[in-house]
Amino acid sequence: MSAIQAENVIKKYKNGVQALDGLSLTVKDGEIFSLLGQNGAGKSTLIHILTTYLAPTSGLVTMFGKDIYREASEIRTQISCVAQRTSIDTHLSLTENMMFQSKLYKVPKDEAKTRMEILIACFGLERYLKYPVSSYSGGVKRRLDIALNMMSNPKILFLDEPTVGMDIQSRMAMWDMMKKIRTDFGTTIFLTTHYLEEADQLSDTICIMKNGKEIIQGTPLALREYLRKDILRISFSSKEEVKNCFQPLKSILALEESDLRQDKIITGLKNGHIDLEKASRWLLDHEVPFLGIEIVQPTLEDIFLRLTDDSGKGAC
Amino acid sequence: MSVLTLLYRNIKWRFHNVFTIVITILQPMLWLVLYSAVAGQSMQGIGIENYTAFILPGLVVLVSFGACSSSGIMNYLMKADNSFYRVLIAPVKRSSIVLGQILEAVLCTFLEVAIMFIVSLFFSVRIASGYLGLLFIVLIVFMTAFFMSGLTYAISLCLPNEVIYETAMNTVVLPVFFLSTALFPGDKLSGGLAIAVNLNPFTHVINALRELIVQGNIVTKNILFVLTLLALMCCISFLWANRRLRKETSL
Repeated sequence: MSAIQAENVIKKYKNGVQALDGLSLTVKDGEIFSLLGQNGAGKSTLIHILTTYLAPTSGLVTMFGKDIYREASEIRTQISCVAQRTSIDTHLSLTENMMFQSKLYKVPKDEAKTRMEILIACFGLERYLKYPVSSYSGGVKRRLDIALNMMSNPKILFLDEPTVGMDIQSRMAMWDMMKKIRTDFGTTIFLTTHYLEEADQLSDTICIMKNGKEIIQGTPLALREYLRKDILRISFSSKEEVKNCFQPLKSILALEESDLRQDKIITGLKNGHIDLEKASRWLLDHEVPFLGIEIVQPTLEDIFLRLTDDSGKGAC
Repeated sequence: MSVLTLLYRNIKWRFHNVFTIVITILQPMLWLVLYSAVAGQSMQGIGIENYTAFILPGLVVLVSFGACSSSGIMNYLMKADNSFYRVLIAPVKRSSIVLGQILEAVLCTFLEVAIMFIVSLFFSVRIASGYLGLLFIVLIVFMTAFFMSGLTYAISLCLPNEVIYETAMNTVVLPVFFLSTALFPGDKLSGGLAIAVNLNPFTHVINALRELIVQGNIVTKNILFVLTLLALMCCISFLWANRRLRKETSL
């Protein structure tokens, strides 16, 4: 049975904004599912609907076979959500926060205490026990936020951009934590993120959405294979250099505006090695000081940019 | 059970933000200590023996308004730190969430009212109606605070931010306070002013409390009227608060 099944979900706010436009997706039990999309794609609205905070305008959403709108109170016992901003109570201590959460979810006291000790150890929070929560750093607050949301032993944990603003070390520690949650606790993780590397590293399934609708869903490998064709990448020494060369190369390689990326031109190969030869020849003939030219496999970033491109050819 | 959990957490919030108790009791205390002492001598001329005892019921209503008003602020703070959302997606009845917050405001009101009564003892204020009267006072204070905290809860969910909320509360409280019998007897009033004062439900609450504190006679009819009025107001404010909370999730 799928953990989450959403079919043709539409959400139109009372102010007229349509955030979701017939979105459908499936999340398998026990997997890490990542939702990618640009700002305003509808990710937060979808999380709000899936966590029973908002009702969809139309469409069907089920969790473990139960309608989340009609059976919201039952669904709520099985889910937990770590929102973009930490939601801990700074007027409570670390243990009070965790016990409060367990009481909200009616976890028996003895079980809650045992679980709290496990989670404190698992999330490395022992050394912070004696300090007030308000004095914690952002990273520790985030860890506590996740730990307390695990107090109810949720079947599905929603993580709404949990690593935003974190340095790389903290982010990697968070990745380990998410893997641990999935393997040690068997929790299904529904993750929204802006970091493609994060989705690539962690996810069993990735869904890319745009304008309130999913445009592709699959494993990271399947998404890479989706484009199938290799990519030609030309690296320049500066952005100005790229801009100078873009127009001439455009006529040779049939480039599109979206192929221009910072100090690089990245485009799908239309004519295999012929494109590589043509581009190299032009660059050498015109004595352009480029840094490199190569044929590479598409990264998740390439796929994301290709699919969310607003130039019209987005959804392949 | 969830109500007690939320109540405990809200009490912890209150004691963490103890200034909300100090600020809300400060003004009524100044009225009790300074104003009653200054105005008391003049009021003896119109037959009020102990003016501190006379204005105490009005100040009980005022202190209740302050405590309940600060309870509404809690919603803005909880929204800011996101715990509002965490509680809303927990398996807790909406009515329990509202009740947990209302009861905290009621307890805070009782704490502040108790302090006011203790201070007023130094001004020779005694509850003339004895223990039965005290029981009715407790009931009336409970229902008044319950009504007000339900009202402030609902208003806090209607208004966009705490600045507008505070301004609205301050705009409402003084006219309501002055258009009641909090500071003067209402029997000499006439015309439109008398109608306005009589239409103010707090006039009747204050009069009932005053009867119990000053006069010592428990007029069953008056007490029953006030309790019925408050019961009705409590139901309306609780239902409105509950409805507003449900609306939070139906954007």
